[in-house]
Amino acid sequence: MATESDRWQPTDVELVNKTRKGDHSAFHELMDRHAQTLFALAVSLSGNAADAEDIVQETFAGAFRGLGAFQGRATVKTWLTRILIRQSARHHRSASKRKTTFVSLKETSHSDVRGPSPQSAADARIDVTAAIKTLGPEHQEVVILREIQGLSYEEMAEILEIPRGTVESRLFRARRELQKRLKEYLG
Amino acid sequence: MTDCGQADRLSAYYDGEVSEAERASLEEHIRGCPLCAVEIARLQRLSRLIRSTGQMEMSSQALERLHQSLDLQPKIAILHMVEVFAAAAAAILVASVIWLYALSATREASAQIPEWEAAALAARNPSASVQEQLAQWIVEDLSGKSEQ
Repeated sequence: MATESDRWQPTDVELVNKTRKGDHSAFHELMDRHAQTLFALAVSLSGNAADAEDIVQETFAGAFRGLGAFQGRATVKTWLTRILIRQSARHHRSASKRKTTFVSLKETSHSDVRGPSPQSAADARIDVTAAIKTLGPEHQEVVILREIQGLSYEEMAEILEIPRGTVESRLFRARRELQKRLKEYLG
Repeated sequence: MTDCGQADRLSAYYDGEVSEAERASLEEHIRGCPLCAVEIARLQRLSRLIRSTGQMEMSSQALERLHQSLDLQPKIAILHMVEVFAAAAAAILVASVIWLYALSATREASAQIPEWEAAALAARNPSASVQEQLAQWIVEDLSGKSEQ
């Protein structure tokens, strides 16, 4: 049964409007609501928790600065996810510039993906993450948004600002690539 | 993977992102096409495999740092406003300098045109003075435009 406080919980848009009027606590509440989802997405996109934390911070900072631009045409979640995707791409570009001898999963090429070891869930996790990382950024985005975030094609099109048909074709190609790279697991 | 002609539609079908009519048509096709049936099974396994990578949770310390970062935002917002105003002021200054330069160049150019030349270049005017008509005639003759 819903309690009094449940019934009177403000919507995301109401929190945005309260923040615009100078109530910073409303934005803190928005952070609490969306931080975990955005963090999970950032981890999937960046491949590690430290970068993901930076990306989420930059996302909320960008959202806070751009509150005036939010017109309510998309949901707050879609708006935040769109900002996160951009911040993640920016982060990836600057990380690529800094890249020297450091070797991480991000740099693992197709040939580096290890052979089958279905007995080990940890190995599978590493191989799947590495395989996703070998995809181009555009293909990574659609796979993660669909398979991990569970978004519809329409939502992905809105977030990525691309036609629905492009979402469909990118996802098809990305899955094809992953099937090739993970064939040992897929049979 | 399959070479069946319907393969490119299976991904959208698997996601439930095709129309009702296409869904019915694809289901009928899959029932008679072992290649496509295998492809659907692979898509299911791939989804399970990707989801099995798990979702990392943000630690409470990281969440705290996130909240603290918001407290720095008003200062950032002020700095951002200052940057915007400075850029706007610089743009106005540059535009003003260009406009003043263009204005003075136009004035100089118009001041350098002698009176007789201005009269000669003006459209033929029956009410022009004899000197002006003479100037127009000379210009037209020199440029080969004189009436035959």
